Amino acid sequence: MNKIVVGLIFGLILGAIDGATALFYPETRPVIVGIMIGSSFKGMLVGLFSGWFARKVRSTGWGIVVGSSLGLLFAFIVAVMDASKGKPHYLEIMLPGFVVGAIVGFLTQRMGTPAVAKSGA
Amino acid sequence: MDADTAIGGPDGRFPSTHVSLIEAAASGLSEAAMDKVIALYWKPVYRFIRIKFQKSNEDAKDLTQGFFASALQRDFFPRFDPTKASFRTYIRMAVERYAANQHGAENRQKRGGGVEFETVEDQEIATESPELEFDREWRRQLFFLALDDLRAHCEQTGKRAQFSIFEDYDLSDRDRLSYSDLAVKYGIPESTVNNHLAWARRTLRAFITERLRGTTSGARELHEEMRRLWK
Amino acid sequence: MEVSDSVLDHLRQVIALPDLTGTRYELESEIGRGGMGVVYAARDRELDRRVALKVLEVPITGEAQLIARLEHPSIVPIFETGTLADGRSFYAMKLMSGARLDRYAADTHTLSERLRVLRSVGEALAYAHSQGVIHRDLKPQNVMVGEFGEVYVMDWGVDAVAGTAGFRAPESTMDRLSDVYALGALLKFLVSASDSPAVAAIAEKAMSTDRRQRYDSVSAFLADIDRFEQGLAVEAWSEPIWHRLRRFASRNAVLLWLVAAYTLVKFLLFFLRKF
Repeated sequence: MNKIVVGLIFGLILGAIDGATALFYPETRPVIVGIMIGSSFKGMLVGLFSGWFARKVRSTGWGIVVGSSLGLLFAFIVAVMDASKGKPHYLEIMLPGFVVGAIVGFLTQRMGTPAVAKSGA
Repeated sequence: MDADTAIGGPDGRFPSTHVSLIEAAASGLSEAAMDKVIALYWKPVYRFIRIKFQKSNEDAKDLTQGFFASALQRDFFPRFDPTKASFRTYIRMAVERYAANQHGAENRQKRGGGVEFETVEDQEIATESPELEFDREWRRQLFFLALDDLRAHCEQTGKRAQFSIFEDYDLSDRDRLSYSDLAVKYGIPESTVNNHLAWARRTLRAFITERLRGTTSGARELHEEMRRLWK
Repeated sequence: MEVSDSVLDHLRQVIALPDLTGTRYELESEIGRGGMGVVYAARDRELDRRVALKVLEVPITGEAQLIARLEHPSIVPIFETGTLADGRSFYAMKLMSGARLDRYAADTHTLSERLRVLRSVGEALAYAHSQGVIHRDLKPQNVMVGEFGEVYVMDWGVDAVAGTAGFRAPESTMDRLSDVYALGALLKFLVSASDSPAVAAIAEKAMSTDRRQRYDSVSAFLADIDRFEQGLAVEAWSEPIWHRLRRFASRNAVLLWLVAAYTLVKFLLFFLRKF
């Protein structure tokens, strides 16, 4: 499987799960569907770029660094958008986003066929 | 080496006709083959009996004589199984059994008489185990016989010079002359000294091999014994 | 003729030395002694280089030509075979520098380093088998590890006089499966059972007295070593459940740590949100 596809799939799943954890907070329950869709989309973006990176560079360490950085970046964007609607939740959004990004970055390194496989290496 | 123990000593014949023990045994172990076995093993057997059973010179000689006589009468050689042990070990164990039986019979006669049993008179002997001494004597005897073969061969083929140089260098017990000293002494180039020595050693080795071939069961045991010689 | 002890020792020494008359080699020194023969360092006068000469009491078998044709980075190249003036046979081969495997194993090396050496030996064996050559006497004394970690397997196809206890398969006719047995014994020699029960099981399987229980080829043996190194279950061992879990955990340690970190973060955020 292509590493980009791996990134998209795991980004989608983990993003959805991460979004679903909002169920624990009574105040966010009404908008849970929107949160899950947004979180899944964010996860897929992280997966897309991590997968693309994993095709270029084969390193678990760098995969985690890149994945977590992307996770942090997109979570920041989401947090800014969220803050514009009222009470800000920077920590609640960015910290899990950071870790989920790291997981996605790790998985894109470990799974899927590397692009260089064609050369027979 | 005491002359009185040199029974069955060197036969001095050119030994290129040696066959293996097995081949000899198949043809009923000819007398000549038996002679070769006795030539090589008489002294080791004698020494072994003497040390292991603390026998006097005369008693040890009698027992050795008796051992070979009984070996010839009983089917001692056909019973040798080369897959179990080397012929050397087989002989040593057979001697041990034979001498222990004789020794036991003797002791039974002496029991009650309070007779101390004879101790070895001339104690040049036995810092080593009888088994090691047996092997050492076997090796010495093998070289002794092969050296005799070599000398006879040199005399027959007119290679006295080769043998003299070999004797001066390799058989010298004291300070050896150098190759250049030998070259001066014999009036030949140093390279010839080198060649003569190489020839003599090579030929001695061949005689040793032949002697061993006549007292081993075949190629395998022969090579094992050759290897053991240099250890 | 008197033969004193000192003369006897001298004679034994000079006669044991190979007679190189008529060859292109000059004797330098003895460098090793094994069950099969003695190895000397010698100089090749014609090519002005040093070589290793292995001198054997036994004649070299017809397989020698086949062995000389083996070309593999872990197989010591043979330059020449022949018979000496004194009737012994010899191999001239590349002179190696390094440590014999028994000495190498006495030093401390990691498990993966030891397995790397074993793999090199196995690859040389698998190649030789593909060329129809069987080693017959694989043991630590016949493997050298060079100073840069290169591994050489020596003494191919020489029918051992007595074999080497502990490394020789119980069957009387030697074939590829006997080499599999010896490779298992080599693994057992290199890795102690306490290092890893899985590796010990691989060695056990290769050393089965019942030949049908062994790996059917050296490649199958190496494949199981591969599985072990990748953290997978090995064919030779049905592992207990706790071992399976531990293997899973160590294989996926990073992922498990990341999931744990995520869970921790979520918990902290949930319980701290009131403050």
